[in-house]
Amino acid sequence: MFNEMYQSESVIRKHYNNINDWLDQMTSKVILEKNAEAESHFRNIGITFSTNNETARERIIPFDLIPRIFTYTEWLRLERGVIQRAKALNAFLADIYNQGEIIKANIIPKEIIYKKKSFEPSMFGFSPPRDIYSPIIGIDLVRTGPNEYFVLEDNCRTPSGVSYMLENREIMMRMFPDLFHNNRVTPIDDYPTRLLQTLMSLAPIKCENPEPVCVLLTPGPLNSAYYEHSFLSDQMGIEMVESTDLFVEGKYLYMKTVDGPKRVDVVYRRIDDDFLDPLCFNPQSVIGIPGIMDVYRTGGVNICSAPGAGIADDKAIYIYVPEMIKFYLGEQPILDNVETWNCEKEQELKYVLDNINELVVKEVDGSGGYGMLIGPKSSKSSIDEFKTKLSTNPKGYIAQPLLDLSFSPTLIKNQVEGRRVDLRPFCLIGEQAQLSSGGLTRVAMNEGSFVVNSSQGGGVKDTWVLAE
Amino acid sequence: MLSRTAEYLYWISRYMERAETTARLLDVGYRMSLFPNPSGYNNEWESVLSAAGAIEGYKNKYDTIEQKNVEDYLFFDESNPSSVYNCILNARNNALVVRTSFTPESWLAINKTYQEILNLKEKKFTKSDLPDLTEWTIEQVNLFRGSLNSLLRNDGYNFLFLGLFIERADNSARLLDVKYFVLLPKPQYVGGNIDNMQWSILLRSLSSFRAFRWAYDGNITATKIADFLVLNNNCPRSLSFCIQNIVKHLTNLTCSPAKVGRIYDNLKDLNTKIQEEKIETIVEYGLHQFVTQFIRKISSVDNEIHKEFFN
Repeated sequence: MFNEMYQSESVIRKHYNNINDWLDQMTSKVILEKNAEAESHFRNIGITFSTNNETARERIIPFDLIPRIFTYTEWLRLERGVIQRAKALNAFLADIYNQGEIIKANIIPKEIIYKKKSFEPSMFGFSPPRDIYSPIIGIDLVRTGPNEYFVLEDNCRTPSGVSYMLENREIMMRMFPDLFHNNRVTPIDDYPTRLLQTLMSLAPIKCENPEPVCVLLTPGPLNSAYYEHSFLSDQMGIEMVESTDLFVEGKYLYMKTVDGPKRVDVVYRRIDDDFLDPLCFNPQSVIGIPGIMDVYRTGGVNICSAPGAGIADDKAIYIYVPEMIKFYLGEQPILDNVETWNCEKEQELKYVLDNINELVVKEVDGSGGYGMLIGPKSSKSSIDEFKTKLSTNPKGYIAQPLLDLSFSPTLIKNQVEGRRVDLRPFCLIGEQAQLSSGGLTRVAMNEGSFVVNSSQGGGVKDTWVLAE
Repeated sequence: MLSRTAEYLYWISRYMERAETTARLLDVGYRMSLFPNPSGYNNEWESVLSAAGAIEGYKNKYDTIEQKNVEDYLFFDESNPSSVYNCILNARNNALVVRTSFTPESWLAINKTYQEILNLKEKKFTKSDLPDLTEWTIEQVNLFRGSLNSLLRNDGYNFLFLGLFIERADNSARLLDVKYFVLLPKPQYVGGNIDNMQWSILLRSLSSFRAFRWAYDGNITATKIADFLVLNNNCPRSLSFCIQNIVKHLTNLTCSPAKVGRIYDNLKDLNTKIQEEKIETIVEYGLHQFVTQFIRKISSVDNEIHKEFFN
C-alpha cells in the first residue's frame, strides 16, 4: 500500500511537510467554514453535474481541501510518459486510416480494428491537418508505489474534467493564498490559451485566415459536461455553438450570427461521432450538421477530435498501446499498462472465470464506474451474475487485476484519513505536444472504496506540481 | 454574435424585468389588502391577477380568489409562466447557455438568485413574508442590472437592454391599465379619497412616489400621474422613456443596419407621437384605448426583432 503523504506511520514525505504544518494549525471550525465556502462557490458558479439518477437539484462534486502533490522529478517522468502515449495513439490512428502498417506487421489483428463500431470507414484515405486525429487526450493513471504508475485507460474522443482541474486551483488560491506563497506550485491557468493555440494550429488547408475561427460544439445544456463547455469557450474567447447554429453552404461551414453567416475553420466538438452529420452517420439524428463531413473531407473545416478517433481508446485496443509505442516511436513505454484479459479470447475468458474473485471485470463500452464488478469486494450473487454475463457475451468484457490504488490524505468529518486516488492529466497535441502541469485528481470518498467516479461517490482534489 | 446568443440575452432581461413587475404587483395587492374594502370595488387580488395576465390560469386552478393562493400562484407556481419562480428559472436557463456572453458577475447574480429561490420555494412562506419576498426580488433584479455595468458596450449589451425596455414598456402600460380600467370601474369614484390612495400605492409600487413628488407640485391628481407614467421622459418607467431607450439601443446595434432600419421605421411614428402628445389629449381620447394600442405596438416591435435578428 502506497500513501502519497506518509512514508511510514511517523514519517512525512518531504514535499508534504508544508501541507502537514498547515493541516496541524487548522481548527475544525476553519475546516467547516472552508468546506462550506467551497461548496457555495461551486454551486454559485454552476459547476454541477447530472448523473443517470435524475434528481431535482443539480449535484456538485465533493471537493477535498488537501491538495495532492507531485514533485518536479515525479512529474517529469509522467509528462514524458503521457506525451509518448499520446503521440503513439495519434500515429496509430494515422496508420489504420491509411496504410495499416501495424496490421501488416502482425502486431494488431485486423478484425479487432475494422469490426469495431468506433472505427469510422468514411475516414479511410483522409488525413486531417498535421495528421493529428486526437489533439486533446486525457490519460487515466493510478499509482501503486513510489515509481509505479499504471495507465487505466486513454480518452481520445472528448475527455472532460479539465474545468475541475482549473476551478479546483482557483478556489484553493482564493481560500488559502498563504499556501501558494509558501509552496512553489506550477501554475495551470494557461491551459485554455494553450488549448486555443493547439486548435488554431490545426486549421484546415483551405483556411486563409491567419487567425482561424474556432468554435466549441456542445450538445446543449442537458449534457453533464455543459459547464465545462461554456467554461472553456469563455476562457478561450470563442463561440460555444449548438448544431442548429451551424450550416453548410458551398464547401464551407458557417455559423448564424446577427450580422449574417460567419465562416468557421475549426470545430472543437464535444458531441459524439453519431451526432455530427446525419447525412454520414446516424440518419435518424435530429441534431447534427448535414454536410459537415463533406466540408471536412474537402479541407473546408477541421473537426477536433477527428471522427473515428474513438477507436484508439477502445478497451480492446488499449492492450496494444505498449506495442504501438515500440512500433511507431521506436521507444520503450515509460508508463505501464495494467495486465488485461480480453474475454473475447477463449483461454483468457477461462482464466477470468476461474479467478473472478480476484479480478475487476469491466464492460468494454462502459464508463462512469457503471457496469463493473470488483471481485474481491463483491457478494457471491453479483459474482454469479457477472459469470453469466461473461459466458453469454464474452466480447463485451475485459478483466484486470485489482490494483492497490495509492492513498491520499483526505478530510473526512474533520479528520484526516487515507482515501484512494487516481489522476487524469490532459495532453495537447497540435504544432507541439504538451502536458498540463497538473491534472484532475479524483478521490474515492468512501472508506475502502476503489471507485473514484463522481457518479459513485467520488470527489476531487487540487493537484500540485512543484516547480523545480 | 450568434443569433441564438442575441435571443437568449434579450430574453434574460425580459424575464428579470418581468420577475420584478410580478413582485411589485404582489406588493400593490398586499398594500391594498391592508385597507378596508368598500363595496363597489373589485377585489384587489383579482385586479392584480388580471394585471399580471394570470387570471385565466389562476381560475383554472382555484375556485376562489384568496390572498394566500394568489401569492403562491404569482410567486412560486410552476404552472404559471409569469410567476417570479418561472421568470428566474427561465432567465437562469438562458444564462446557462450564454454565460460566456456576459460578465461572470451577471451569471453569478442570476445563479445565486436561482439557488436562493429554490430554498425559498422549499420553505414556502407565511403571510407576513410577502413584503420580504417582494423586497428580495427587487434586490436580486437590481443586483443583476448592476452587474451589467461592467459589460462591453457591444451588440450583446444592446440586446440585453432592448429586452429590458420592451418588457418594461409592456409592463408599465399594463400597470397603468390595471389602475385606470380594472381597479376603478365606476366613474363617480374618480378623484375621491380611495382613488388617490390607489394612485399613490401604484406610485409606491413603482418606487416612483418620491420621484413624482419631486417632479410635480401640489395635489396628486390622476392627470398628473398619467402624465408622469406616460409622457415624462425623466421617469424611468414611463412609456415615453421606454420608447426612447428602445430606439437608442436599437440604433446602437452595429450589426445589419438594414434590419435596424426596418424595425426603426415601424417604431418612428409611435416615438414621435409620444414625444409631442399632451396628456389632456390622451385622457380625452381615453387612456385605456391609448394604452391598449401601445401594448399592441410594442408586441409588433418585439415580433420584428425576433424575425430580423433571431431567426
